[in-house]
Amino acid sequence: MDPIQWLVFLIFGLPLIGFPLVIGVGYIKKNFSMYLGTALVFISFLIALYVFFTDTVKGTIITATLNWLPNLPVSIPVGIYADQLSMIMVLMVSFVGFLIILFSVGYMAEDPRRHIFFGEMVLFTASMLGLVLSSSLLMLFIFWELVGLCSYLLIGFWYYKPNAASAAKKAFIVTRVGDVFFIAGIGAAILYSGGNALSVSPTALSTIGTTWERTIVALLLFGGAIGKSAQFPLHVWIPDAMEGPTTVSALIHAATMVTAGVYLIARTYTIFTPAALTVVLSVGVFTIILSGLIGLVVNDIKRILAYSTISQIGYMVAALGLGLGATSIGLSIYQLESHAFFKALLFLSAGSILHALLNTRDINKMGGLWKKMPITMGAMLVGALALSGFPPFAGFFSKDSIISASYGHNTIAWILLVIGGFLTALYTFRLFFRIAFGNPRSHAAEHAHESKWIMLIPIIILAIFSTIFGVFQNGFYSFLGGATTSIGFIDAVPATVAVIGIGIAYYAYGRESTIPQRVAKGSGFLYRFVKNKFYLDTLFTNVVAERVVLGFSVIMGNFEKKILDGFINTWGEIFRDAGLTLRKLQTGIARQYALIILVGLVLSLLFIRILMFMGVIH
Amino acid sequence: MIFPFNLLLLLLTVYFIASVAIRKWAPRLITVLSSLTLLAFVVLNGMNRSFNYSTVYIISLSFQLNFVSSVLLILVSVIGIFISLRFKSSPGFHILTQSLIFSLTGLFLTRDFIIFYIFWEMVLIPSFFMIGMWGTKNKDYAAMKFFIYTHVGSVFMLLGIFTMYFQEGGGTFNMNFLIGGIGSLGITYQAFVLFGFLFAFLIKLPSVPFHSWLPDAYVESPSEGTVLISSLLSKMGAFGLLILFIPMYVNSSFSSSPVLPEVLLGLGIFSLIYSSLVALYQKDMKMMMSYASVGHMSFITIAVGGFLYLISTGSSNVLIEKLLFYGAVFQLISHGIIIAMIFALVDTTEKTTGTRIINSMGGIARKVPGLSFLLLLAFLASVAIPGFSGFVGEITILLGAYAVLKYYLIFVLIGVVLTASYHIFALQRSIFGPYNEYLGDIRTEKSELYATVFPLAIVFLLGIFPGLLFGFFNLGNLPFMGVVP
Repeated sequence: MDPIQWLVFLIFGLPLIGFPLVIGVGYIKKNFSMYLGTALVFISFLIALYVFFTDTVKGTIITATLNWLPNLPVSIPVGIYADQLSMIMVLMVSFVGFLIILFSVGYMAEDPRRHIFFGEMVLFTASMLGLVLSSSLLMLFIFWELVGLCSYLLIGFWYYKPNAASAAKKAFIVTRVGDVFFIAGIGAAILYSGGNALSVSPTALSTIGTTWERTIVALLLFGGAIGKSAQFPLHVWIPDAMEGPTTVSALIHAATMVTAGVYLIARTYTIFTPAALTVVLSVGVFTIILSGLIGLVVNDIKRILAYSTISQIGYMVAALGLGLGATSIGLSIYQLESHAFFKALLFLSAGSILHALLNTRDINKMGGLWKKMPITMGAMLVGALALSGFPPFAGFFSKDSIISASYGHNTIAWILLVIGGFLTALYTFRLFFRIAFGNPRSHAAEHAHESKWIMLIPIIILAIFSTIFGVFQNGFYSFLGGATTSIGFIDAVPATVAVIGIGIAYYAYGRESTIPQRVAKGSGFLYRFVKNKFYLDTLFTNVVAERVVLGFSVIMGNFEKKILDGFINTWGEIFRDAGLTLRKLQTGIARQYALIILVGLVLSLLFIRILMFMGVIH
Repeated sequence: MIFPFNLLLLLLTVYFIASVAIRKWAPRLITVLSSLTLLAFVVLNGMNRSFNYSTVYIISLSFQLNFVSSVLLILVSVIGIFISLRFKSSPGFHILTQSLIFSLTGLFLTRDFIIFYIFWEMVLIPSFFMIGMWGTKNKDYAAMKFFIYTHVGSVFMLLGIFTMYFQEGGGTFNMNFLIGGIGSLGITYQAFVLFGFLFAFLIKLPSVPFHSWLPDAYVESPSEGTVLISSLLSKMGAFGLLILFIPMYVNSSFSSSPVLPEVLLGLGIFSLIYSSLVALYQKDMKMMMSYASVGHMSFITIAVGGFLYLISTGSSNVLIEKLLFYGAVFQLISHGIIIAMIFALVDTTEKTTGTRIINSMGGIARKVPGLSFLLLLAFLASVAIPGFSGFVGEITILLGAYAVLKYYLIFVLIGVVLTASYHIFALQRSIFGPYNEYLGDIRTEKSELYATVFPLAIVFLLGIFPGLLFGFFNLGNLPFMGVVP
């Protein structure tokens, strides 16, 4: 391999090989693993920067391939595929990953198992980098599962909390449902292309024959993306996943892993036929509205952010569903990156607040933090403005471009996306005003204080990026081969709607008011419906898992024990009982034997005699 | 370099006699030696060699080391080493282990039906004594059930062998001859022969609904016995399906009818879902993992069914056929090592916490992090997470299965999700969550954990570099497969 290929390999290979070491040095001194872990991810970021500016900007695609399973008629490739899309993702993952791990150095400083935490974070970052650099669908799936595994381990990091253990289980199983569709998708890709479409390059993917076959493969892969990117109906795991440490939520459940599904669609965009794209668009738009509504009624600070993540990923999915070719990819990935910055910022700010408030997560117990934690709250305001798409923050450029792009394409989608933007502004500023304004509503909130600098520095860097990222918009689009945009009249609509949303949020939540309670009471059934998350969690947990699966399990378990085993034992008993009965003939008394011989002899002679009468024998 | 087969048999016999003669410390060490000799035999012969000795009357002393038997012999030697590293059992147990290794070596190599049958039955004897002598409460019942149940299958196989012998009339029990000529039999005889073999193999595999012997045999036998039976004995059925049943079916007059392959596919899928659901219901960890073993072996049934289906429908998709066949072979070794590791760890858990009931544990990660970590890894390997060898076997079979099953693959996938569910449920209830204070202050035997690292390392190695084995796979070396290589 060339040096440059080695370098690309090292981007994910270094943390992947280094993570056991990170845990290992923790047994010497726990703080060593924090420094080593941070350093490994930082070095990855530096290598990524170098590769990006020496080769990727020139349009070079760096590839290297090995045959993972020899002796098959076609090569089953594993290797690296670093084009513009991959490298942009790599830069984002390693940069945001580095900032969040840096933040963790302060956030997890007192945890007795922090060496394991950092080891798992490094493994996660390595797997995520490997995912975006994979050269084949199979390798992508391998890392896809590994990030899922890390997510499982990190959600359950505080395993002694029953909620955390349960949330980890839920996350694993729900994403597993999506993953099996991914497996089927790879199987379909192999079958319909004779094994050639394993590679992720567009030429290899286009060897899949007919439109119908492409649609099948695309929809199956999209099934995997739904699970990982938490789109309807498999979004139920993310809110529970907030039981993990906040930095985990920031890295895995906001910035990187949950966007893997979007990356997968963008990567295999060649095979998404119009039929498949319609499904993608519908799911994306539906998810935006659904999670936006739920976000309005949740009180847990991290869960509000989780629902907002679901809806923002919905925008990325919807952008891809518009079917504008490379422009769609540009729109979607740009939203992905700016979302990574401002959502990581929001989560880290939330982490800073939770750190100060001793893990009180109910926003009704906060309030008045504007004065006590000015830097954190200032950064949070930046994040909130960016999230609601307020110009000139990053979210305005990324999200409004998607909404505007849908205007000429699909008017219904445009209306729904605008409503989604309104909901986003509303729930975001509900969150912000409840935390920042008013009087402290709990003891912990009264004694809040600003966090350490090592936690504030990443927050400030992310705040800066969330503010200025919009500058790169058109350069970004053209870099990914898409069309550039300019701000027009139609862009004013989502921005105006966002301002209205912020205004309503202030009117209802920014001051003492009983409007929310009155609205809740007035809407009655509708409110309960939304408050219970559209009964989807109830459906999955109480009906599908507890009634159907466990019900069948009990039926089968009893069938196994009583009927099947009983049937087998009955055979044994028949033979045993036959033996027990017949052995009574063996009395050992000679007279009885003589009698039996005599009777037998008479009967046999009689039998022969009868046969002779009938003429059978002569 | 050639390592002759007669030398191997001689060495194994000498080892066996030596361990019987010395007893005490010797059998445990000599088991390692036997395993290493076996490994040397496989490696030095390059995983592919035939040994033809003279014909004794009607029995042909012909042996073939192909890639399937090589993989299985590697598994046997790994398990042999692991058993002696991990368990300080009585000398008698290790002597039985050696006789098991001897029988399995003969079984996996022979190309003669009578010798095959003799070894097939010889395997039962040590296993019967392992359960019957060192087992737990219901050991007599379990041992008897195990012996009789599997013997019922063998009897039908023996009848099938005799049917072939007398109907074909070649005066030899040579497999190549008898399998090659199976198409010349009357159609009823053919059906009977195929049924007899399939019945014997499905019982041994085991596949639902012929699995009733398994939970009792696994749970009632001592842990070391469970490791041996679960990881080695179930491979006999799989070996039979792959090496004997497929060629027999391909050469029979039924080879162009997809009915039997469809039945096998259905049986495999049913077996997977059924065993997962029953496993979900279990409270005893050892019982649960017994059903997990059934679930993993049902992938073999699916692979064999899919392979035969492709041949019967005449589609010459070599890629898919190889994916299925190679995946099945890989699944054999990976399941063997993983399940051995799991039962060894369940044994450690039982000794540590004093219970095997999942709900009676809880949060043990706090007190015994090492054991919990290994248990977590072993369970993840069993769920087939990438990086572990289980993934390679399962994914290759699933990828191949799509070509055969198409939309029906959804049922297999349901089984895969259910498999993940009960593993994760068990983990959540046993090692995670708040610590169950009723367990008191617990600690593990460190040496037991170190021994488990050995199979874990192999599982990792094979999971990351499956090419180590795949490089030797060659369907062209196997006779009568009906595939153009």
